[in-house]
Amino acid sequence: MRLNVTVNGERRQADDVWEGESLLYVLRERLGLPGSKNACEQGECGSCTVYLDDVPACSCLVAAGQAEGREVRTVEGLAEGEALDPVQQSFVDAGAVQCGFCTPGLVVAAHDLLDRVPDPSDEEIREALAGNLCRCTGYEKILDAVRTAAGAR
Amino acid sequence: MRTFSYVRAPDVETALRTIATEPNAKFLGGGTNLVDLMRENIERPDVVVDISRLPLTGIDELPGGGVRIGALVRNSSLAAHPLVRTRYPVVSQAVLGGASAQLRNMATVGGNLLQRTRCLYFYDEASACNKREPGSGCSALGGFTRNHGVLGVSDHCIAAHPSDLCVALAALDAEVEVESTRGTRRIPLTEFHHLPGSTPHVETALAPDELVTSVELPAPVTTRSRYRKVRDRASYAFALVSVAAALEVRDDTVTAARLALGGVAPKPWRATEAERVLLGAPATEESFRSAAEAELASATSQDGNDFKIELARRTIVATLRDLLTDRSAA
Amino acid sequence: MSTAEDLPVLGAPVDRVDGPLKVTGQAPYPSDVDLPGQAHAALVQSTIAAGRITDLDTTEAEKAPGVLAVLTHHTVPRLPRGPMTSLGVSPPAPLQDDRIRHHGQHVALVVAESREQATAAARLVRVEYAPADPVLDFDDPRAVSVDDPWGLDSHRGDVDAGLASADVTVDAVYTTPDNTNNPLGLFSTLAAWEGERLTVYDATQWPAMVRETLAEVFGVPEVSVRVLSPFLGGGFGAGLRAWPHVILAVQAARDVGRPVKLVLTRPQMFTSVGHRPKGVQRVRLGATADATLVAIEHHSTSLLAVEDDDYEPFAAGSAVAYACPHVVTADRQVRANVPAPVSMRAPAHAQGNFALESAMDELACALDVDPLELRLRNHADVHPALGLPWSSNALRECYAVGAERFGWSRRPARPRSRRDGHWLVGQGMAGVSYPWYQAPSLARVTVTADGGATVASSGMDIGTGTYTVLTQLCAHLLGLPLEQVRSDLGDSDLPEAPQAGGSGLTSALGSAVADACERLLGALLELVRDDPESPLHGSDPEDVVAAGGGLRRRGDPGRGETYAAILARHGRPQLGADGASTPAQPTELGMALAGAFGAHFAEVRVDEDLGLVRVSRVTTVIDGGRILNEKTARSQVIGGVIGGIGMAVFEDTITDPTTGRIANATFGDYLVPVHADVPDLDVTFVGEPDRASALGVKGVGEVGLVGVAAAIANAVHHATGVRVRSLPITLDALL
Repeated sequence: MRLNVTVNGERRQADDVWEGESLLYVLRERLGLPGSKNACEQGECGSCTVYLDDVPACSCLVAAGQAEGREVRTVEGLAEGEALDPVQQSFVDAGAVQCGFCTPGLVVAAHDLLDRVPDPSDEEIREALAGNLCRCTGYEKILDAVRTAAGAR
Repeated sequence: MRTFSYVRAPDVETALRTIATEPNAKFLGGGTNLVDLMRENIERPDVVVDISRLPLTGIDELPGGGVRIGALVRNSSLAAHPLVRTRYPVVSQAVLGGASAQLRNMATVGGNLLQRTRCLYFYDEASACNKREPGSGCSALGGFTRNHGVLGVSDHCIAAHPSDLCVALAALDAEVEVESTRGTRRIPLTEFHHLPGSTPHVETALAPDELVTSVELPAPVTTRSRYRKVRDRASYAFALVSVAAALEVRDDTVTAARLALGGVAPKPWRATEAERVLLGAPATEESFRSAAEAELASATSQDGNDFKIELARRTIVATLRDLLTDRSAA
Repeated sequence: MSTAEDLPVLGAPVDRVDGPLKVTGQAPYPSDVDLPGQAHAALVQSTIAAGRITDLDTTEAEKAPGVLAVLTHHTVPRLPRGPMTSLGVSPPAPLQDDRIRHHGQHVALVVAESREQATAAARLVRVEYAPADPVLDFDDPRAVSVDDPWGLDSHRGDVDAGLASADVTVDAVYTTPDNTNNPLGLFSTLAAWEGERLTVYDATQWPAMVRETLAEVFGVPEVSVRVLSPFLGGGFGAGLRAWPHVILAVQAARDVGRPVKLVLTRPQMFTSVGHRPKGVQRVRLGATADATLVAIEHHSTSLLAVEDDDYEPFAAGSAVAYACPHVVTADRQVRANVPAPVSMRAPAHAQGNFALESAMDELACALDVDPLELRLRNHADVHPALGLPWSSNALRECYAVGAERFGWSRRPARPRSRRDGHWLVGQGMAGVSYPWYQAPSLARVTVTADGGATVASSGMDIGTGTYTVLTQLCAHLLGLPLEQVRSDLGDSDLPEAPQAGGSGLTSALGSAVADACERLLGALLELVRDDPESPLHGSDPEDVVAAGGGLRRRGDPGRGETYAAILARHGRPQLGADGASTPAQPTELGMALAGAFGAHFAEVRVDEDLGLVRVSRVTTVIDGGRILNEKTARSQVIGGVIGGIGMAVFEDTITDPTTGRIANATFGDYLVPVHADVPDLDVTFVGEPDRASALGVKGVGEVGLVGVAAAIANAVHHATGVRVRSLPITLDALL
């Protein structure tokens, strides 16, 4: 099938999409956007988190057809040119990145949290990001990063 | 994942017509369960009917104080809705206790009703599973059973129902409205899910051509309600045991009690025995314990999930105690 | 000649240099790399744990859309097993015969035009088996065991006499389950042949080893193999071997004459790239009434695959943890039809320390002495086996600082004496003596015409911060700003470095970089010393420092010139130097080589009704020698502590007792800590640069994890009075 989807503000089209492909697959394999990561493909790690119509979702569990005509924003679409988004910058500053594989999904999830809750409590941060697994950082610096980003926004 | 054809339903009527004519079709709501199961080759529909754009997304107040929830309301919207939060805190808490923010943003109410078990043998094609492959046996028996049920299970299936929302709905006497080309009918939530018996593959009362369109909650007997989920992690884990409870107490006597259990049974488990013991009993720890004992009296366990029986008892007592003592729960 | 002394670069909490790439999704992990014309592969894995394949029908799969090839033991040529590496044998070559040795063993590989097509077709491969009854656990009488697999069993004094002389003894058995490394990045191999030249993008912690392995297995010269792993989505040990799937991807690329990419699925990550093996340990301790240890006996048995090896001496660390006259440690492995284990962050020590430090807590209780006091009284002031002074050891300081920061002195002695509502609150601690580990390393440092410098090494950054600390180190030694130094890593064509593992890479590779910098400065100095046009003409090496982007006269920074100027005048586009480091030898130095030391203090809350265990805070103090970057090192330790919390209360890889299948091979069922589980963490570094390391570095990649499980188990005992000797500590044990 043909898929039309707006990605990071740009109208994109993919042809010959198999119905069983996920939005994550389409982004990575067809649209040249490997920023969103596949770490489980079972909706259990959050590494593939993207905005789907302004709401973060696990793109690995979104069937390609579900994305037809919708707006998608990925980690590649957060920075304004060379300028990192405050969430991205605070992840760098706080040392919230290690291997970095979970980072794109976390950045999107944290970005959304701060859009909805500009000044979240620690408990809100912990709960909001509970769906984003990280095996390196121990999360502590990610909490710091989100606190800092909240202040910066 | 097998090849299938994908149809986007523009309206309810088309959705119902499609499902009525296609012998092996599935509705796709949020996709959080179905897409996963299709990738694991557990669900193998020939046709997927995407209903996610149907206008079943309302949350409306009903005359008499109840509320009607569209089947395609997202979990996150449901949990955040003021009517739900004020009148049915247990529902809001149950939803927020489930899955992750990303999944709640996609998962729908209708999908939650049809969420399939997390049994580790159901999910493995090579294991025997009467639910997946009727008559093939049950590899869970004699296997790793820490997450399996202790109430309502059978020799054919000991899988536990995974939903949090359904536990709250079961406690609150919810009704499910379903529609097909043959018409509309309503099914009490407590009758919507089936116990496995000798046919664990028959999981619900829903006919293959029926679509869940909404869930109705009657006016709450009390807004003092709570969902307690006991899980290994502090967040983002399936329940070992969960309790949905609503409790009304007058003059230290229980005047109304609604209780349901999750994580312990193949369906959201309405704890009618416990409710019977509680009604009219003094609102004390002893009564709560008696109620819990009564409910778990019929429990049976495997080696790996024996702890759930006592854990369920204790969680019932703890939840009721919290409701009794914590005024903020009101 | 020396380098500038007080540059703020080294040791500073510099931001990770690869941070911007990673937060924008631009860092190319192996699974992100694509090559023109590539095909995709998917694995078919065994659904029995032991037996033989009787029939393997690929007809349907071959007819499926897009399928290019199906590799089976009928099609794959006989391949030799990979070489012996410095970490042990290579895994057996895949698809060599019809035998099944574990559930999840690869039995076929389907290659197709797209990943989805390969996955779909993989389900069409029909495999018939003649199953045998698998050996799945220690207690199977058929299981073959291996005693003292590494010759590390140790005997000191007379442990029976020691125990007989003790006033108080402890004798307890501790069990730890299989844990799975589970880096977030799915392991992935992209292999491309051009004639006899092979290029492989692989999720490995050790590109040089993969190159050597592939050269040997496929019979091509090492120089014609290039292995790239510039970014890796974590490894925790899983990337320390050239696993069978890597061999298969390379074989498939050769078969179809196109690049082939194979990305494992999450469930396959549980069976294909190792795990921390389960074990049973018995510890006997004896002490006199004044809390002096007189005997330590530590026996371990761990599970091993049937035709593979794994380095996992659980008990060995107990021989050097405390001053004690009578010691026996002995390790044994039992072979079973399970997937091959592998080092997982702090192999052997994670498990062994849990047993020893739990037993020490039990001993403290039996002696009625504070657990910290017991450790201090038996502190190993010198290396207990060698009798030599340590090259560095700030364990006492770890204890003192940790106790102070944690508030240990306010801890009530009696278990079950603090509560907060329905939560029982308890505190426990554990000490850690992590072993020294080092391997030889090479590195190259080059200054270029733009005046900047490049570090080059095959060593890689698994997320620890190698890019950043090498950049810092080079900038520091060459007197350059950070922005003018770049590190190129994870490419086997670059000078060979050891694995990113064993907490040894920073010291080994850092020392090689330091050596290269020194040689480079020497070469530069030679250029200018004999050059009448240079302001440094005729300078004595002692009078020249590297600063301000070039060479400067000591005490007269105005007199000097930049590297760019030097290279330009001499018409050179660049000037490089190779450096090397070799591990120190304890006997030559007259001291015992010390690894990192540490102390953990943990507080837990246990729900009295429901048995729920929540770790509420952890104070960790680490002696890691010199810390090159406070920010990345701290992150390493924090990550280690959370890994330890996972081990203590969540992580448990379940093998089905009948089939040998890993039953919970998903992130939904194998629980690792999530954000909501993170307690208040306090990490402090103490100690001095290590005397045996050129840089004074000891490595902190693993020490943060070790000891956490024991500290938590001890805290659970303090909270509840219940001693849990089996991990993970879940509510079932506390109801």
